Amino acid sequence: MAQVPAQTIHRDPQLFGWILLPITLVMILTGILRHYASVLLQTAPKRLDQKTMREQRSLLHGINVRGNFHVLSRPSFIARREALTAAYESGAYLKDPERRGQPPANPMSDPSSMEGMMGMMKNQMAMIIPNTLIMSWINAFFSGYVIMKLPFPLTIKFKSMLQAGVATRDMDPRWMSSISWYFLCIFGLQSVFNFILGDNNAASQMAQQMGQMGPQTGQMFGPGVDPDKQFLGEVENLAVIEHYSVLDGVEQRLLEGINV
Amino acid sequence: MAPSLLHPPSQLSPGEALQLSQQAPTVLQNSPSTISSSPLAALLPSSETPDLWIKYENLLLSCLRTGDERAAHQCLERLVARFGNDNERVMALKGLVQEADAQNNGELEKILKEYDQILGDNNTNIPITKRRIALLRSMDRLPEAASSLVQLLGFSPTDAEAWSELADIYLVQGMYQQAIYAMEEVLVLAPNAWNVHARLGEMQYMAATAPGVASGTYEKSMAEAIKRFSRSIELCDDYLRGYYGLKLVTKKLLKDAGKPAKESEGEFSLPDSKTVERLNELATAKLSEIIRRSTAQERGWRGYDKLEVAAARELLVEEASAAAAIER
Repeated sequence: MAQVPAQTIHRDPQLFGWILLPITLVMILTGILRHYASVLLQTAPKRLDQKTMREQRSLLHGINVRGNFHVLSRPSFIARREALTAAYESGAYLKDPERRGQPPANPMSDPSSMEGMMGMMKNQMAMIIPNTLIMSWINAFFSGYVIMKLPFPLTIKFKSMLQAGVATRDMDPRWMSSISWYFLCIFGLQSVFNFILGDNNAASQMAQQMGQMGPQTGQMFGPGVDPDKQFLGEVENLAVIEHYSVLDGVEQRLLEGINV
Repeated sequence: MAPSLLHPPSQLSPGEALQLSQQAPTVLQNSPSTISSSPLAALLPSSETPDLWIKYENLLLSCLRTGDERAAHQCLERLVARFGNDNERVMALKGLVQEADAQNNGELEKILKEYDQILGDNNTNIPITKRRIALLRSMDRLPEAASSLVQLLGFSPTDAEAWSELADIYLVQGMYQQAIYAMEEVLVLAPNAWNVHARLGEMQYMAATAPGVASGTYEKSMAEAIKRFSRSIELCDDYLRGYYGLKLVTKKLLKDAGKPAKESEGEFSLPDSKTVERLNELATAKLSEIIRRSTAQERGWRGYDKLEVAAARELLVEEASAAAAIER
């Protein structure tokens, strides 16, 4: 079998200085810009009014009592349970008791949830706009030729990844086109941003995408959740507790456990 | 343990607080007086860390405590320059400095009015609410402080600090049952805090030994006091306050032994006298071990508060001399 001769393509040495470096630099700078743009666009977390705070923290209080009932003696636990159950069932802690029993408001019409969506929109915009711009810039100026050769061999499958925009079937996959370099930069600059901007930067889109896919935290008090239902659920949780106390027989445990 | 500026200075002895506040000139000199928030500065290796601001805050508190008001004002200025006048925490610190500067009651009243005004604009400003309560308390208006605390806890019932403050206010007013209730709320929020268990035991003991207590309540409180102290020791080995309380309660129980322990449904009943005796012995032995080892400055036994050790020693000596008197 004949050896496939190594492909040589004569490239202008200035390709490095005029294409590779500018693309990388622009990517880094847009990342930094995006970070500061999202810092500027961030709205301060909305201040809770007293009623909302009471609603949320009363529920948390109930959850705490349910979780840590064992530190209480039986009479004081039962007193708490009765008080909490009565308050929860009568809706005393609700933000607006008149709206009890009605279906939750449409999240689109609720101004507070609209704000959250606006925040998400802003983030998305800060991601999409620069990406579109840069990609069209690269497409307009640098598309259609290879800019570098990777110093290691690759299989044929990498062709579509590394040679986007260069439709040459027989070219070694080690050759790389400018648009592919751009994609590599998108995914590979994370550690550079970490180095420059600190760990919690908003520059990398990977982190944002992960955040969107990850489990939705903070949904406990989110829009569209009916607090009345949560309270009634908590009443049931409290009702099924069979009380025991950690203080039961603690002296015996102590006498057995500690030897002087 | 040497006092550090990174821990809140509320637990420090006066000497340690002084030591901290004497570091003020060095700290203030070594850190830049303004931190620029421009993006360019953020590109450079950052000189701003959260630690710095914690340091300023703790330094401020120590300086106020030791009367170094000039340094305190400097710390406050830097905090204000960084976080602005609207930050809730900075507002509270500012109020604190004003309170320290106030010369007479009239000025304090004025500060109180300012707090009321701030709270009128934003009634969920918890740091200022707490400052207002602390100010009311230091002006000896305990009922008002208690009712403000109850109101705060009405909309924020998961605030352990507020609950324990409420317990303390009730306790100094002699309202033991209310104090115990508030302390139990702290435990609900922090179920493994051994110091809170021991404190609750102390409260039960105080409630039991207060004049004019019904005998049923007495037994119940004493039983729970024993249990609370035991639990605190169970959570934290060699806990001096726990053993001290256990010793105190069992001593008292042994002294008025002979009263039959009533069994009551659902509530804690006193353990039998043999258990009480064994607990008493255990507490005595442990206390003397703690005293011996901490006086000898053995490794791992140095953290005890000197005054607490002295009190424990006094308790043991007192009992020994009483026993000697009986033998004679």
